[in-house]
Amino acid sequence: MSLDFLRSTQNADGGWGFFPGKQSWLEPTAYALMALHTDSSSARNFERGWNLMRSWQLPGGGWQPCAAVRQPQWTTALCVTLHCLRGVHDDALRRGVAWLLDTSGIENRLQYRLAHLVSPSVVELDPSFKAWPWLPGCSSWIEPTAHALVALKKAAKALPEARVADRIGMGEKMLLDRRCKDGGWNYGNRKILGTDLPSYPETTALALLGLSGNRELDLKASLVLALRQFRETRSPLARVWLAVSLRNHGLPLPPLLGKQLASPDTMIHALDAMAANGALA
Amino acid sequence: MNRRGFLQAGIAGVGAAQLGCGGAAPSPIPAGPPGRSAVAILKAASYSADLLDLMRRGAALCGLEAKGKRVLLKPNLVEFASTTAINTHVAVIAAAIELFHGLGAAEVLIGEGPGHRRDTIGMAGEAGYRSGIQKFDSLFTDLNRDDVSAFPGFADLPEIFLPNTARRADLIVSLAKMKTHHWAGATLSMKNFFGLVPGSVYGWPKNQLHQIGIDRSIGELQRVFPRSFAIVDGIVGMEGNGPIQGSPKQSGVLVMGGDLVAVDATCCRIMGIDPARLEYLRLTAARGHLLAEHIDQRAESAAAVRTNFALPVSLKTIRLA
Repeated sequence: MSLDFLRSTQNADGGWGFFPGKQSWLEPTAYALMALHTDSSSARNFERGWNLMRSWQLPGGGWQPCAAVRQPQWTTALCVTLHCLRGVHDDALRRGVAWLLDTSGIENRLQYRLAHLVSPSVVELDPSFKAWPWLPGCSSWIEPTAHALVALKKAAKALPEARVADRIGMGEKMLLDRRCKDGGWNYGNRKILGTDLPSYPETTALALLGLSGNRELDLKASLVLALRQFRETRSPLARVWLAVSLRNHGLPLPPLLGKQLASPDTMIHALDAMAANGALA
Repeated sequence: MNRRGFLQAGIAGVGAAQLGCGGAAPSPIPAGPPGRSAVAILKAASYSADLLDLMRRGAALCGLEAKGKRVLLKPNLVEFASTTAINTHVAVIAAAIELFHGLGAAEVLIGEGPGHRRDTIGMAGEAGYRSGIQKFDSLFTDLNRDDVSAFPGFADLPEIFLPNTARRADLIVSLAKMKTHHWAGATLSMKNFFGLVPGSVYGWPKNQLHQIGIDRSIGELQRVFPRSFAIVDGIVGMEGNGPIQGSPKQSGVLVMGGDLVAVDATCCRIMGIDPARLEYLRLTAARGHLLAEHIDQRAESAAAVRTNFALPVSLKTIRLA
């Protein structure tokens, strides 16, 4: 059902909008391609989307998020992941990885680290860890960091460089540092102005996805929470992210509710198909 | 850079915002544009009151005109939380739709781009919007994921990308919630415009706005979207550690007006906050009326309905004398 939805809603330029009939964006396009890439009957759809995605890489190695916005952002990680899933280890991949390695949140800069030293309780975090922002010049957040970790862990197999391993290690430490009291993840921080922040199901799913593959990490409490969130969340988008993530951790899941697939949201369909085909595992 | 500025930059850097308010008022407040601004304060004891009738009255008192206009209603939809006072109440949105149809608007749409949760439609369902507003799905645009186009110049940026649905509107109506805000002091009709900035370009949260400075960004958004009107839902607002983790606060009012500076300044006075202590209001005071002597308070007076909101712990110095 989800694959049918994706095939039937592809735009003429080869990409997908967040919703059918809307302009193409890199994010839903990347997820749609991850969903379709193992489906032989979707080869033509994949090729058209792949070509559009490739055309959006900027000279600096990062990817622009849509035709109208010519500035690189976090979705570069999705393109790196997609190249790795396809086994395409070419110059575009190397430039994309280099962009990710050169990009980090500004809280790691000296001025901000000193400011944090002066007033550490405003936002409780360790600014020494290098992680990833939504776009250059901003601070790091959970979701772009998780996607960058997924991308670099896949790229590391083809580009086994010390710098890649270092950034993976730092990114994992950032995620662990910002884990909330309940074991999950808020979208950004665990404590602000002395108040513990709640975790959210979608960011918990993504953080667990970013941390997967490192067997030295103790993620039991977080995975138990994620399973509970999967059962309880009222957000269809969160539920499909949890399905992708928990599947990635090898956990069996109850079937998703068919109701959410009545949604016109491209990401929900793409992530549902990714959960089914284990695209990121 | 002084210690305060240093801290502001650093805090923005670690993902929060700037400490934009609460300090001593450093310079005179501009008198604002010529003339005076009308702001209507309408008592509403609960959401079961006849909100449409109240809004009609407020619209007339403020001289609101919407005939033939494409109207975009911008509620404040923040969280999956149906039982607390985070989101603009569905009854306020439903009444506003009827109000603008009644005023002869050519089109009345709803749009929102929440700041940190990505499942906008899911949240709209949880807030009762999808069940409580007829044909909601066909009226609503997720502004975080709308088609976008560039608007030249925004603070120090050469351009900002904004949702086409918002740019096409002849009138954007800020259906804000009356809440305290632990960085900005209060989140009212102007801060609500953060939801007009697309997450698909700037992320969740829209951290670029934090880097520019919350107060400055509020002012810039007001400049970019000058054709606006405000209806602030203060029937049940939020006090304390707002805008998310505070407590419900019944203040029993709707506040309406076409000068968003005057509306927010009035809301502050109702909440027991000194508007002159909020940096974003000082920054925008040249384009609207912050000073009480330039505001025509219609229906109720701010003093008559004042009910002090508990302040965020970080901002105890903004209390109105």
